[in-house]
Amino acid sequence: MSSTDSEAVEAAADRNDEQVDGDGRPHGRAGESASADGGQLGAIPRFDVTLRIRRYSAEDAEDGKPAEARWQEFTVTVNGTDRVLDALHKIKWEQDGSLTFRRSCAHGVCGSDAMRINGVNRLACKVLVKDVNPDKPITVEPIKGLPVEKDLVVDMEPFFQSYREVMPFLITSGHEPTRERKQSQEERARFDDTTKCILCAACTSSCPVFWTDGQYFGPAAIVNAHRFIFDSRDEGADVRLEVLNDREGVWRCRTTFNCSEACPRGIQVTKAIHEVKRALLTRSV
Amino acid sequence: MAAPSLEAPRSTPYRRSTSRRSNYEMYSWLFMRLSGAVLVVLVIGHLFVNLMVGDGISGLDFGFVAGKWASPFWQVWDLAMLWLAMIHGSNGVRTIINDYAQRDMTRIVLKTLVLVALVFTVVLGTLVIFTFEPCPVGPDGAFLEGVPSFCTS
Amino acid sequence: MATETSTRSVVPQGTLYRGREGMWSWVAHRITGLLIFVFLLVHVLDTSLVRVAPEAYNAVIETYKNPVVGLGEAGLVGAVLFHAFNGIRVMLVDFWSQGPRFHRQMLWAVGALWVLLMVPFLVRHLSNVFGG
Repeated sequence: MSSTDSEAVEAAADRNDEQVDGDGRPHGRAGESASADGGQLGAIPRFDVTLRIRRYSAEDAEDGKPAEARWQEFTVTVNGTDRVLDALHKIKWEQDGSLTFRRSCAHGVCGSDAMRINGVNRLACKVLVKDVNPDKPITVEPIKGLPVEKDLVVDMEPFFQSYREVMPFLITSGHEPTRERKQSQEERARFDDTTKCILCAACTSSCPVFWTDGQYFGPAAIVNAHRFIFDSRDEGADVRLEVLNDREGVWRCRTTFNCSEACPRGIQVTKAIHEVKRALLTRSV
Repeated sequence: MAAPSLEAPRSTPYRRSTSRRSNYEMYSWLFMRLSGAVLVVLVIGHLFVNLMVGDGISGLDFGFVAGKWASPFWQVWDLAMLWLAMIHGSNGVRTIINDYAQRDMTRIVLKTLVLVALVFTVVLGTLVIFTFEPCPVGPDGAFLEGVPSFCTS
Repeated sequence: MATETSTRSVVPQGTLYRGREGMWSWVAHRITGLLIFVFLLVHVLDTSLVRVAPEAYNAVIETYKNPVVGLGEAGLVGAVLFHAFNGIRVMLVDFWSQGPRFHRQMLWAVGALWVLLMVPFLVRHLSNVFGG
């Protein structure tokens, strides 16, 4: 799939140990080249950046008082090619091993490291430090609306609960065909956008309605319902639409577009929700 | 050999407590949009006639209202505006309460207040429009002070 | 459902979410909506005085004729016009298939339309309020 390919290219370009600059010319390790001759052509600039991180640990509780979140600043030297995730790694490995965050693939595919960087939901592995104004301290906070477990790690269970409730799997009746279930290119294109979801929760935790009480199904659950509702091979559309007709379902969407802007995969989330609303209004897919 | 016992996953506290499957929220959503479209015309028309035409805001007095409500056209206009705006507004406030009031009791109290305000205002407004007398007379049979000029002529 | 929320250990949130036009237009839509609702209750009550006596109504209206209330009325009309045009924008986002794509441009259109109507209104209204 083309989106996967572009993802891989982006990820490679983001890697800080890549010893090829924008023009494809090889050079030495970024740090060495810059410090050795102070600005060799094509050298990767190095600079200091301050990260202002929202810290929380239940273990900080004192005398029966619950623990409170606090801000802590760290200053690290990063390469111009470093991502926010690399800066977090540097802090964890070199300054404070207790800093806690999730990350797995670190290349924008697994969706583990969604966090709030300078006030907006991003994947830490897809944001270059140089792109978020490193002149000022970069604030890093956990995503909103989900219970914080420690530092940047939140309890994703409410999020996955909603995901499970929309039944994100193929529902069919009758005999399983001996060959593949056929689908035209037009039929496939209807839900192409919503197949890209990596369940990072950047959209759901950017939604002002979700922040209020966490009961709203949230954009991600609706996106994943959309993926099957508009799949011509699936027969469970009515059931899923009924689930999303709930008082906590699609009708709580207030079209703030925070979700569409937060999605690291560029899914047009608000548009997908809009299509589900229309399907519910007309009771036809 | 006994299998090791595993702790249950912590999913239970987050289960959506009630799932109310009805079309109520859909109709509410639809009503907001349809009534909103009508209200745009009604309210902007209302503002234009009361604030821009004639003497504007300084021309407002009993005579102005009496002059308008002497015509069934404005009676129907204002009645429709009253009902639609009040239901549209109350439903909007209900949404806000649902969003921000955290405790069940708070929600019930606030929503009851909104409902009381809605019913009271709509009933009062409707009665006023239907029982309005543009040329009211006092107990002595003379016109009250402040009646519009078209009463006496 | 609300009881669950109170038992959840949601740590006090940090900074304000830096949403863009869509989020702020929604915030403004809510605030103006609430404002208009409160005004509407008062407006129906004071208009109801026409049923009591012409003098009672005129007396109350007379107390409104001062610059402070006049400016409040201007603010209210501004709120109504924004709520109306942004409401149309929301409807277009909901019902027009290209709506979600052009939501930002539509917000600029809402702003332009608002300015276009507010300027003549303010000229007319404020000259009434301050010109006597």
